[in-house]
Amino acid sequence: MTTPEVLRQHAEHAYAHELAALAEHDRYPRPPKWNLSPRAVLTYLMGGWAGETEITPKYVGEARLMEIAVATLATDRALLLLGVPGTAKSWVSEHLAAAVSGDSTLLVQGTAGTDENAIRYGWNYARLLADGPSEAALVESPVLHAMRQGKIARLEELTRVQSDVQDTLITILSEKTLPVPELNTEVQAVRGFNLIATANNRDKGVNDLSSALKRRFNTVILPVPDSLEDELLIVTRRVDSMGRSLGLPELPPALEEIRRIVTVFRELRAGVTEDGKTKLKSPSGSLSVAEAISVVNHGLALAAHFGNGELSPHDTAASLVGAVIKDPVQDGVIWREYLETVAKKRDGWKVFYNACRAVS
Amino acid sequence: MSQQIYPIRHHGPGSARSVQRALEANPPATLLIEGPVDADVLLPFLNDPALTPPVAVMAHVQGQPERSVFYPLAEFSPEFVAIRWALARGVPVAFMDLPASVTLAPKEGDSPTGDEAAGDVAAEPDAGAAPTALPSADAVRADPLALLAQAAGYSDFERWWDVLVESRGDGETVFSAVTEVMAALREAEDGQTSARDLLREAQMRQTIRAALKRGSVAIVCGAWHAPALTPEVLAREAKADLARLKNLPRVKVALTITPWTHGRLTQASGYGAGVTSPGWYAHLFATPTQVSERWLTRSARLLRGHGLDASSAQVIDAVRLADALATLRGRRLAGLDELTDATRAVFAWDSDLPLRLLSEDLFVGEALGSVPSGVPAVPLEQDLAATLARLRLKREAATRELTLDLREDAGLNRSQLFHRLNLLGVPWANAAASRGTGTFKETWTLRWDPEFSVRIVEASRHGNTLVRAAHLAVISGARRAPDLEALSALLEVARLCGLPAAADVTLARLDVRAADADTAALLLSLPPLARLARYGDVRQRGGDDLRPVFRTLLIRAAAGLLNAAHGLGEAAAQTLHSQIVQADAAVRLLDDPEASTEWVSALHALDAPGTAPLLRGDAVNRLRDREVLNAAQVQVRLAAALAPGAPPLDVAAWLVGFIGEDGQTLRHDPAALVLLDAWVVGLGPDAFGEVLPALRRALSRLEPHARRRLGEELRGLERAEPAAQLNSELGAGVVPVVLRLLGVGLPSGDS
Repeated sequence: MTTPEVLRQHAEHAYAHELAALAEHDRYPRPPKWNLSPRAVLTYLMGGWAGETEITPKYVGEARLMEIAVATLATDRALLLLGVPGTAKSWVSEHLAAAVSGDSTLLVQGTAGTDENAIRYGWNYARLLADGPSEAALVESPVLHAMRQGKIARLEELTRVQSDVQDTLITILSEKTLPVPELNTEVQAVRGFNLIATANNRDKGVNDLSSALKRRFNTVILPVPDSLEDELLIVTRRVDSMGRSLGLPELPPALEEIRRIVTVFRELRAGVTEDGKTKLKSPSGSLSVAEAISVVNHGLALAAHFGNGELSPHDTAASLVGAVIKDPVQDGVIWREYLETVAKKRDGWKVFYNACRAVS
Repeated sequence: MSQQIYPIRHHGPGSARSVQRALEANPPATLLIEGPVDADVLLPFLNDPALTPPVAVMAHVQGQPERSVFYPLAEFSPEFVAIRWALARGVPVAFMDLPASVTLAPKEGDSPTGDEAAGDVAAEPDAGAAPTALPSADAVRADPLALLAQAAGYSDFERWWDVLVESRGDGETVFSAVTEVMAALREAEDGQTSARDLLREAQMRQTIRAALKRGSVAIVCGAWHAPALTPEVLAREAKADLARLKNLPRVKVALTITPWTHGRLTQASGYGAGVTSPGWYAHLFATPTQVSERWLTRSARLLRGHGLDASSAQVIDAVRLADALATLRGRRLAGLDELTDATRAVFAWDSDLPLRLLSEDLFVGEALGSVPSGVPAVPLEQDLAATLARLRLKREAATRELTLDLREDAGLNRSQLFHRLNLLGVPWANAAASRGTGTFKETWTLRWDPEFSVRIVEASRHGNTLVRAAHLAVISGARRAPDLEALSALLEVARLCGLPAAADVTLARLDVRAADADTAALLLSLPPLARLARYGDVRQRGGDDLRPVFRTLLIRAAAGLLNAAHGLGEAAAQTLHSQIVQADAAVRLLDDPEASTEWVSALHALDAPGTAPLLRGDAVNRLRDREVLNAAQVQVRLAAALAPGAPPLDVAAWLVGFIGEDGQTLRHDPAALVLLDAWVVGLGPDAFGEVLPALRRALSRLEPHARRRLGEELRGLERAEPAAQLNSELGAGVVPVVLRLLGVGLPSGDS
């Protein structure tokens, strides 16, 4: 068990009591090697009760999506979580792995530098040179480990990985086996093995999956928060906790200002105003919740150190414009259109409009 | 004397199969169907081989086709299945509900939200689009069985019915179980049965009593009515029913069968008893086994047809996922929800394109019904005949030319009729080029093709009168319009057809779609809008509601104009130039101060480095013309643009922009000519030599005679002073003649 001093605990440790309670009250059949039945996994993700223990919701959003995710893992197809940055893909994948196999640590982080060894196996070269190729000289990747143990492996940012390395997965996912030609043997996956990959669908075309690989995944697209209130809640909470950890001076909560920023983000992202009456163009950036949080944080820092201590549109305008306009030409037009057709006419937005005009 | 009640769900394929099985097992002497008794005459048509469902039995008040009721019947409707079964076996079949003549009669205290009558055409776009056989929107009343399925944890009633009934194969007991459940449901809201329902059920009981005298009776009715038709109630209410049905107000109605579409069976079309996915129901009806497998295979084949990847391996995966999902959700069979989720997860990758492709082909499963030739004429045909008589027009196979004067009512009405028919896909009249330049004149070539009669029947699914049908055709066109250009065109059509309400809907769509459009499309959408705002008055509408939309479009266009004009090639610049010319004309036409201000500032912004020279010169000229730039400011810009050293092609392009494509600015605006002339005269000989090629190039586009006149005028400018002086004595001599020409009398006592 990890000590409480670690900066961040794994899901299976942080929520160990919930998982235990669910396992205790779970009366539905469990697929082979699963710690919980699919229904209990769903309860773990969406929240509910296990006997007397309250299960906190891990994912706020449509239960339908989590149902598809869990059902996919219960078949032997791999699961691909897609979404723009900041839509809780990794979070969901961690909790799924923790709930299904009680282990969320079998993780491969995909980067442009991820090589085949990280997905298949590597060699302990000292041993290899001393004793020649042998099982003992083999260094298992998390994926190989999961195959042997019948657990869930996780692969983050799949589309960042080079295409030829991605295709290593094809044999693993279709044949459920990993040949080790050096030892003239193979490792066959035990029942219960599956893979959850996450990818960012804004980076399309970076290293797009080959259609052969695509076919081996069931896709679940995680959307941005559904309602303004949900998103507002996430932003205020995170800003609150981050502000404390960054040691910013305490400021009165500027809910109106935060609401306005969240509204601007949501409207531009969705391409339509909250009242649904005016359609808008969407800028090229992802305008994620995380970016909204950083705009508010930046504004708070400005207000605390240089302003009158209260978050005003003048404090947020510059970083808001920076967050929206990623492509100076295209996004500039979109932002101007937004200001002129939406912000200008809205009641109580005059100061905001002028502040934005001043810095746009 | 036995009676068997089959409570069904309207358009429920599961019910349809169960009813058919029950009828086979236990054939009655008479079959009664929920439907207006006066439509009995139409029943034989339903078994005609030339009739293809979906169709609708329709009743409308004679002379008022917009007051109507529809009873849609799909291939999978239990009513339709039962009727066909009876007709094929020669079992007498009849309708048993209130006659349409009573249903359509104006009721006392008839509320304006009357259920059936389509009412005011101009009101809600969808109101009356599909008046329903089921009058109440109340969810419990409308589809009580669906609520039962939901309570059992199924989102889809039909799958629940499958689990409950079909897979067990004990159809008949389940019908009595349903009757009991409905009885309990109705007890719970006792006393809330509407007066109309009481009347309808009284009529049904009367019909049943009459039929019972001839032997056993099978009754196919909506589940809700079943408890009111049991033998006990039949005996108890015998006297009361007679009294209830006495002296009901009646109206003369006409009944017919019209072709229907799956689209109009959907709830989305506003049909109260509609279903979410007629395609799914048709599939359930046609596919007794392997429902998921066949559905997903069809999905894959359709996707392949659209050029998307969809392999058999994926179908297998999708089937397995759908089953796993159903298990997770505690359902025994995968329903449409599970199948849709599985389709999305397996086939869709990260776009919703596959599902959108499938929605029309598969979920709605668009099908157009047809009716045999013997059925009474559709009201649209009657309305057309009446309209033609009123406008003194005849349908002739010979080609005939007709010129209309739109300033007269007769001309305008005829023109609108032709436009409406064209809109409905009946190209009887073709617009021909009109002689003369007046916009009030239209020339049409008329030729009637017998095939058009069929098209009228097809068009009648849009509505029962020409106005209503054209109105709905515009609206459905607006919903499907792919881009701004199509919407603008539709707006023009709505204006020509004289359909203000449809124009409003199109306008709203235009507003909504403006965000997706690029600058060029936005600019192009301005002229029709301005025309509608300006000339709409002739057709009794103010332009006030259009101006805000015009402004929004203009603001969006203005915001993107500078970027659009940046770094363009010659051809692209010319395209944008012609769009700017049209938009500028539209702004002038509408003459709206706010819009004009926006436009002027956009033009101002265009006059910046980087803008294509053609557009820059054009912008300067337009600003000069609007007196935003004075002569001195224009001189500065002229000098800068034509400064020696600039690439000659750019200079020439700038000049073309400034003087207009065919030099009309110079011809019609002496001030501009003076300005250009003064600038050229002010050049030193060396500088003139450098500018000369560019000037030549720009002016070479003028027609020879225009160039000659320009030269003459320039010569005149040089000896300008005397020519410009006025001789008022000579001038006064003309005044009396001009006044006579104008028909104005000279003021008395003045010479």
